[in-house]
Amino acid sequence: MPAYHSSLMVPETRLVGNMALLPVKTQFKGPARGDGVDSDIIDEAIYYFKANVFFKNYEIKNEADRTLIYVTLYISECLKKLQKCSSRSQGEKEMYTLGITNFPIPGEPGFPLNAMYAKPGNKQEDETMRAYLQQLRQETGLRLCDRVFDPQTDKPSKVSLILMIYLNFLSGVKGYLIKYMTQSAAAVAVKIVKFSRCQRKVF
Amino acid sequence: MAVSPVQVGKEATGEWMFSSSCSHLCVCLGLPEQTEPPLNTPENREYLAEIMFETFNVPGLYIAVQAVLALAASWTSRQVGQRTLTGIVIDSGDGVTHAIPVAEGYVIGSCIKHIPIAGRDITFFIQQLLRDREAGIPPEQSLETAKAIKERYCYICPDIVREFAKYDSDPGKWIKQFQGINAVTKTPFHIDVGYERFLGPEIFFHPEFSNPDFMQSISDVIDEVIQSCPIDVRRPLYKNIVLSGGSTMFRDFGRRLQRDLKRTADARLRLSEELSGGRIKPKPMEVQVVTHHMQRYAVWFGGSMLASTPEFFQVCHSKKDYDEIGPSICRHNPVFGIMS
Repeated sequence: MPAYHSSLMVPETRLVGNMALLPVKTQFKGPARGDGVDSDIIDEAIYYFKANVFFKNYEIKNEADRTLIYVTLYISECLKKLQKCSSRSQGEKEMYTLGITNFPIPGEPGFPLNAMYAKPGNKQEDETMRAYLQQLRQETGLRLCDRVFDPQTDKPSKVSLILMIYLNFLSGVKGYLIKYMTQSAAAVAVKIVKFSRCQRKVF
Repeated sequence: MAVSPVQVGKEATGEWMFSSSCSHLCVCLGLPEQTEPPLNTPENREYLAEIMFETFNVPGLYIAVQAVLALAASWTSRQVGQRTLTGIVIDSGDGVTHAIPVAEGYVIGSCIKHIPIAGRDITFFIQQLLRDREAGIPPEQSLETAKAIKERYCYICPDIVREFAKYDSDPGKWIKQFQGINAVTKTPFHIDVGYERFLGPEIFFHPEFSNPDFMQSISDVIDEVIQSCPIDVRRPLYKNIVLSGGSTMFRDFGRRLQRDLKRTADARLRLSEELSGGRIKPKPMEVQVVTHHMQRYAVWFGGSMLASTPEFFQVCHSKKDYDEIGPSICRHNPVFGIMS
């Protein structure tokens, strides 16, 4: 059953490894340009987060989905930290520290989803990926603080606490089973066979 | 009797099951009509006939298939001219959900599918969601509380992400309060009911939320069932999808099913048109899900409707025949009900 996928993929998007280097509206330095997009990949990830945590299977339709998954997993890490914070300023500090922490990137032994992500090809790509992921992390942390903390009371709002509880359903972030699907020659061949059967199926 | 009759998918022989299901039938109709699940064996029917005639001494008996009665109950929601015993019955109770195709009053037994998601799973899922979040519920009452919340506040939404956004933007309007009473101390407790309202019934359409083994949405299962039926009966099946059973009572269940099935059917027709290069232009598929106000007890209601027709007396098996011939008369019960 389909979970929610990213709709931001366009053919001319730059790829780093096999993740899409999508533009992000951010003040932080990095490879992604923040060129006036209304809703970027981080907005999408936050919008779909609550629904996506319930799904046990996720089908990767395009490279932007991989970026979406990375941001989703990072959001769950942030929320675990934010649960313990009692004020917005403390939350922002935690998010900043978390953002610049050296998380493993695809290809390194600590990265949980190495099977689905490609290793960067050369040193330059490696640098770009690291910088891009750090940029994503920092911007995500900042935006989450907006969502989680109630502006009047400066405390985590009850609704966002409910959201944090749903982390239980992630059942271990590494338990996210991801299926990789591609438009290969095999898929095209299946379509041809289906057509001959299809002629009889028409009502 | 301690065992609940609804837990048994197939009726087992035994006198305990009749006390709940047939007593009101006996009182209302004078002549009882019994129901059976679709794949019941003729021997079971004989046992049933024996018990009814010997122990209860009924004057006459007719054993009807539950799906056919549910179809008959759906006649309340349409004009007289359109009565048909062809349709697919989605029967969802507490234990299991069935999709049963029926053609001209006869069940197409090989195409029946079971879905392991039903009322109990929804209650359990809601209980899990509440357990983590609300501390006020006394632990021994958590299942009943979840059940009460399910029956009172749950509904089916068209899209979960949009519902989440709706709830976040206006929590005061969407998040409800539920008050329960602690059975031991008799003090009231209050809880908030939020996302469970639409997440609970959503497991019909995304079973993987609560069941790790089963992934197919109910609309996909229904589509599969119809596609596995003989080709000439598929269009009539799409046109007459009937709901029955307590777990189909969620608001907008029919609308969501209809929307999903229409999408699947249209996509299939479009694909065939594409692959044939535009040569084949199939007629658009009419998908209709029938809901009516007697859905919860649709089987019983259908039975009482059919039993009150004059035709009933011609088809039911009488005590006289039983005494003369024996229980084998009840092996076959002819289909009736479509009056010209």
